[in-house]
Order: sequence, then structure tokens, then C-alpha cells
Amino acid sequence: MTPAAELRGVGVTFPSGVGALSNVSLGLPAGAVTGLVGESGSGKTTLCRVLMGLQAASSGTVLFGGEPLPALLARGRLAFRRQAQMLLQDAAGSLSPRMTLRRLLAEPAAIHGLPRKEAWARTEGLMRRLGLSPDLLDKYPHQVSGGQARRVAVARALVLRPALLVADEPTAGLDVSVQGELLNLLLDLQAELGLTLLVCSHNLPVIRRITTETVVMYLGEVVEHGPTAALFTSPAHPYTAALLSTRPGAPGRITLHGEVPSPVHPPAGCRFHTRCPQAQTRCTTEHPELRQAAGQTVRCHYPLVGDPAPQEMA
Amino acid sequence: MTALLRITGLHLDARTPRGTAHILRGIDLDVGQGRIVGVVGESGSGKSTLALALLRLLPGNVTRLDGQAVMDGTDLLALPDAAMGAWRGSRIAMIFQDPATALNPLFTIGTHLRDVLRRRQPGLSRAALRTQAEAALRRVEIADPAARLRAYPHELSGGMRQRVMIAMALLAQPTLLLADEPTTALDATVEAGIIGLFRGLRADLGGAILFISHDLALVADLCDDIAVLYGGLVVETGPAPAVTTDPAHPYTAALLACAIEDGGSGRLPSIPGDVPDPVTEPPGCIFAPRCPLVEARCRAEPQPLRPVSPGRAAACWKAA
Amino acid sequence: MRRMLATPAGVLGALIVGAVLLAAQFAPWIAPYDPDALAVLDRFAGLSRAHLLGTDQLGRDLYSRLLHGATVAMGVSLTSIAIAALSGTALGILAASVPAAWERLILVAFDIIASFPSIVLALAVVAVFGPSNAHLVGIVAVTLVPQFGRVARAQVLTLRAAPFLEAERILGASPLRIMWSHVLPNIAGPLIVLASMEVPVVITIEAGLSFIGLGVRPPLASWGTLIYDGYSYLSDSTLPVLVASLALAAATLGFTLFGEALRDAVDPRAGRG
Repeated sequence: MTPAAELRGVGVTFPSGVGALSNVSLGLPAGAVTGLVGESGSGKTTLCRVLMGLQAASSGTVLFGGEPLPALLARGRLAFRRQAQMLLQDAAGSLSPRMTLRRLLAEPAAIHGLPRKEAWARTEGLMRRLGLSPDLLDKYPHQVSGGQARRVAVARALVLRPALLVADEPTAGLDVSVQGELLNLLLDLQAELGLTLLVCSHNLPVIRRITTETVVMYLGEVVEHGPTAALFTSPAHPYTAALLSTRPGAPGRITLHGEVPSPVHPPAGCRFHTRCPQAQTRCTTEHPELRQAAGQTVRCHYPLVGDPAPQEMA
Repeated sequence: MTALLRITGLHLDARTPRGTAHILRGIDLDVGQGRIVGVVGESGSGKSTLALALLRLLPGNVTRLDGQAVMDGTDLLALPDAAMGAWRGSRIAMIFQDPATALNPLFTIGTHLRDVLRRRQPGLSRAALRTQAEAALRRVEIADPAARLRAYPHELSGGMRQRVMIAMALLAQPTLLLADEPTTALDATVEAGIIGLFRGLRADLGGAILFISHDLALVADLCDDIAVLYGGLVVETGPAPAVTTDPAHPYTAALLACAIEDGGSGRLPSIPGDVPDPVTEPPGCIFAPRCPLVEARCRAEPQPLRPVSPGRAAACWKAA
Repeated sequence: MRRMLATPAGVLGALIVGAVLLAAQFAPWIAPYDPDALAVLDRFAGLSRAHLLGTDQLGRDLYSRLLHGATVAMGVSLTSIAIAALSGTALGILAASVPAAWERLILVAFDIIASFPSIVLALAVVAVFGPSNAHLVGIVAVTLVPQFGRVARAQVLTLRAAPFLEAERILGASPLRIMWSHVLPNIAGPLIVLASMEVPVVITIEAGLSFIGLGVRPPLASWGTLIYDGYSYLSDSTLPVLVASLALAAATLGFTLFGEALRDAVDPRAGRG
């Protein structure tokens, strides 16, 4: 089945020479929730921006429902924007400070020329679902709480009925006691609208709970990709294992030594070898490719599950 | 067990455009000698303000600061400003949340560390200062300390800057170390290393550490004792393992329930409602509007912190 | 607005500004005399009920001339500032939006204009095109453009990284819509403050140019010409000079206080704990 959105061999290099993404290939199954995990410097934010057409890929192709993105944009910028929406990490910051919530909520319909009454009725419905009381409508973004700002952002994104929604750190800045409610609502809406949802988060328990597939990134590359349950119980890549072990109370804490290398000069060979607890000689010289290992896709010469990568012919 | 720091009845009000905000509504807290005490709270709990109040680094709109915070026989809240200035950085030190802004960008790491050393030991020679600074950096697991001393803060990553802050704390040898969300701004893999350092700190410092965080799981893992804050009040205290496995206060229980379980399914838990508005003064229990066990008595009577069992206290009449 | 009136300075500024604007607008109705009416027999009259502020060397009522001077001052300043604000803001936004090479061009143009003293420019223009009020307004507007341009550009640059602009792009807003609905309202604050702080500057420039004869032509009553007239006949009476100078000083002070109070009220960081 055609994935809702796909990246094939996408690379992004900024004019300054810094490489943010390197040969990223990834498909988002339609109607499913996929998780994207990575720390700072992993490139996950850049990936989201490439997917949304905000950042041009220096190499590779981006496809939506099988169609290349540049062609879609040329056909109609507005039409594409109705298909793909994004929730920014800074929800309050994503709301124009001098506009009331009423104007902000009416704006997507205004931009796309949707019939006003119908669109507002839909917005009101979304507001009810999201627990946004009508007396917030005359307030300004700085007058409402972080959680409320986030809900407003969700309403704005969903009134257009997009097919794809990228959520960048949807729980960042939210208190633990309200995270659950927001995620429940997001998942309800996702199921009802048949949304393809990509959740970027460093909050591993959330990813585990709500996604069916998880992609792990490190220094601009995909290092592991597979069904969430399997990935969390038996990670194939040493980095994934270390990341999962950072959850408090997780068995066997793996401490990584050294700092994340700068994306300007990624290490030779495997990019993770400078911090990998099980790096061997081969890892310092030979860059591993993505391959299958016990049902996971992993970029490692010596994955934790499955067989080691076959030696290259000398 | 002697209490290194005993806080009683700490009230703090601040003036805001909407009225007087009651940020701390009467905090009672004991910090034991040689212990790491975790202060857990969400937004509006007042946890960061508590730390700043102990250091008396408060903004200009504070209208009321009552109560006592007694350490080594001295009430921190009553110290004259000059004396407080002498205490800060030497007897009480703080590690801040944002490593990016906590260090002065104009000075090298070496200068930062030397400044701390000089306050503690004024007569040291330059060579001795350098040796001790390098040793401190090594203790926080920074590679190539000699080179790092010459570096400026912007040349280091967030995790390394936080390690430098901890090194400064080590050199200051404070009696009380306050850490305000020291790992919140850091990546998970970096955070794990820093938490490991904190464990070592307890042995090195000999005083006590007050570790402030919103992350209950993290605090449960690292700290000896926990104090749970809600709406400017302490609602539960006790040893970390006990509080997290057998919470006495409904808020603690609800908060623990919100932790997303591995392998769980169904709706994600949350606590309905909002945190209390600091401008209001509810007559009864501060958690009543959101408590699943609420009754009429809860709304009418304020709930003070009362002992539940030896070493544990909770602000709920149902817990006793 | 409420915050502006919170300080005594703000109140004073607002009062003076209000008075000047009223005078400027209603001068023809509230002035007891025609400002150009000669009454040579009455020259250099002192303060009296008939002539509240006395008369000048030609017996013209100073109070009336002062009121009309307010009209001139406000007319010139508000017009030139409006022109400068609109064109300067547009150029500043342009500078922040175009490739670096064009931006440099615009900034150099700003620098060139800024390095010209307005007096010299006025002399040049008058020498070539002859004196007129329109030229005066034009000269002043041109000299103010760089300031608005730089402030506008700085504001747009600061805003560039703001998440809400990206959010609007994601929603599909066109660049024009983003500029109009999201950028302009958010950069307007400092620009409005700048405009109000420029008013006293322009009043003074106009008075200065009129004083040396490059501004409004006599017999039109500008505070500058009033000061000049009074100064020329200082030996006969100190009153005209005093009256005109005080008016200029008071207006300048009032607008400065008003502008500063406005700046403090608009800047969200000022006055917060």
C-alpha cells in the first residue's frame, strides 16, 4: 500500500556546509501513528520541515501519496497545505501575539477560502472536543495556559481536515497531569479523521504507548526503524538501547560516554562509534548501511539482534 | 536524624496586575543532613520560587515573605542582605535549569572556577587554583580539563556546561546545594550522566541537596526523600521509595497514575481541571477541586501537613 | 493608554499634546484676532486682556499668531512624519526581505541621507527650487526616512525567527498576508513610539528652518518666524521672543514626555517585575 508520505534518500545540507540529514528513507503508513525519536542534532526537526515543504531537500525525493512534493506544490500551494499540517513545539509561540483566539481559529478557513459558516461550525465542534471554552475566544495567546494554546493549535490544524499531521514534541512544556488528556484527544481525532500522524518526541513512554512504528535518528541518519513494541523490548541498535535505558527505573542503565559529535564533522565510519559501548575496528572505518535484522531495519555492523553485517569483499 | 534545614510556615506573595498572587502558601519542609531531597511539583506549585526564596533572590514585586528557614541555627529569611550575600555561593549554592545562561559568556571556564575557589580559599596561588580547578573538572568527568579551562561557555555543549556548574558547586563546598531542574534542558542520554554525578555529589558534599524537578520518576530514582508540592503547599513528604509505591496524598497518587505505563493500553490517565490560580484563596484543601476522593469536609477545612506514619506526612485527613 | 497616564510625566505630556493639537486644529476659531491683522499703533503691547500675550512689532496679536503657529508646526510635523514613516517602514521591510546585495544598497542609501544635515539639504533645495511649505515637508520627511527604515528593518529581522510566522506559512498563508496581518501589527509598536518621539524633533527643525528664513514664508505664523521676529526686535521688547520660545519649549517637552510614556507603555518589558 502506498505510504501516505515518503522520503527517499533525502539529504539536507545547509549553505554553511552543515549536513542536517543524510540519506534518509522513511515511509509513513497511511492512517497510522509513527514515532520519531532523536536527541538534539539528530535531524528530526529538519526531517519534519522537509516533510512539510518548509525546507528544500538537497538530494533525494519527498513523496505524498506517491506524488513528488515539488510537483504538488507547483500545482497548488494551498491544496498541499490542506493535506499536510504541523503542530509546532512552541504552541503558544505559534499563535500570532496580537490576534485574539477567535481570529486565530477563524484564520485557516479564511486563508483557504472555505465557506465561513460551515468552517466555523466545524471549528466550534473541534473546540468542544478539545475542551476549549467559548469565553477564551476573546483572549490573546499570552493570556491562556500552555495547554490551552496547544489545543488551539490542534484546532487550527485540524479544521482543514489534513491527511497528514506532524506533531513536534506535543507534550513539551505540558504538566504530566494534563499530558494524558491532550494525547487522548489527539488520538481520538486521529482515529476519527483517519489521520496519518507523525509524533516527534523525546518522551519515550509516550512514543511506546501511542505509536505502531518508531524511527530512531542519530546525527542526521536513521539508525533504527521498526514496530514499536519490538523496538522497545529488544532494540537492535546500541544507541536505541542506550536511549531506552535512560528511562528512570529501566533495567541496566547504559551510560554513553562523550558528547554528541557536532553535525559539522560527523565521525568517520559509523557516526555513533565514538560513543558506542561496543564499537569495534570495523565501525571506525566502514559506514554501515540500513539492513534488516530480525524484523527491524537497523544501521549497524553488529546489531543487538539478528546477525552481524556481512563483511564487505576486501 | 538532624534536620540540616528546617523550613516552617514559608509564605510568599507577589503583586501582579490581577491582584496579589499567593505563590507559597505556608511551606513546611525538613531537609536532613546528608540527604538528597526531591521537591516535585508541576507548574504553579511554587517549587522554583521556593529555591529562590531560600537564596533571597526574589523579584521586586514580592510583597510578603514570612516564615522561617533555619540552617545551622540561622534563619535564612531573616539574614540581613550583606550577610546573605556572604552565604550565597559559599554556604548555599544553586545549580540553575538553563546551562546556556547560567555562565557569564565573557569569562572562561577557568575564571568561573577560580572565582569560586578564591572565595573559599582566598590565599591560594595561581598554580594551586589551576590544579584544583582541573581536579574539579575531572571529577565531573570532563575530558581534557586543562584545555577546557581556557574555553568560553559558548564553546561547550549544554551537558558540559551543566557539569561545569556542578564542578563549581563542588568547589564551593556548600552546606546546602539547590538544583533547580538541572537536567530538564538536556537530552536524555546526557541527563543520565548528570544524574550519576549527582549521586556522587551527595558523598562529596556532606551537606544536603535539594533537587527540584517536575519529573516524579526521576526524583524517585535519585532522591532519598520526596516532598510533593501543589499550589504553593507541601502536600506530602516521606522517603522516596515509600511515597512512590504507597502514596498517602490523593494528588501524589493521581500524579503517579499519570506516568505512562509500558505495555498499558486504553485511555491515558490525567487529572481533570487546572492548577489553582495563585490569586485565589480557597477556603479548604488546595487540591479539593480536582480530587477524586473529595468530600464536603475537604472543601471547608484547610488541610495542614500531618504525620501519617513515622517519617511520612500528608496534607489530607483521609491519609492519617 | 491606562499605563501611559500612570506617571505624572505621562499625564503632563498627554495634556500638553492635547492642548497643542486642539490649538492646531481650531486655531481659526479660537484665535481672537486674525494673525495677520496689523495694528501698528499697538506694537509691543504688554500682557493685557485685549492681547493675552501682547503684540509683536507690527501690532499683530501674539496669542493668535501662536495658535496659528501650532497649526503650522503640527501640519508640517505630522505630514512629514507620516510620509517618512510610510516610506521608511516600507523600505525597512524591503531591506529585511531582499537578498543581501539589495539590502546593502538600501542601507547605504540610508547612511547617505542620514549624514546630510537637514539645514544643508534645505539650503540646497531652496536654492534650486525656491522656498515653499511643500518643500519643507519634503525635506524633513527625507531626513527622517533612515530612522524609520532602520527600526522597521531591525524589527522584521527580530521577528523572522518567530514560530508564529512559520505556523502561518504552514497553514498556507501567502507572504502578503503574513506581512499585512502578522508582521506589521507586531512591528508597529516601536514605530509608533518613534513617530511620536520625532514630533518634537520636527517641530524644532521646522522652527529652526523658519528662523533662518528657509521655512514657512512670512507673514505665515510659525513659531520659528515668531522667534525670529522677536529676536530681531529684542531691544524693543523681550515679550515676543519669550512667548514664542516658551511655546516651542513647552510643545517639545510635552511631545517628548508623551512619546516616552508611550514607549514605556508599549514595551512589555518596561515596568514588569
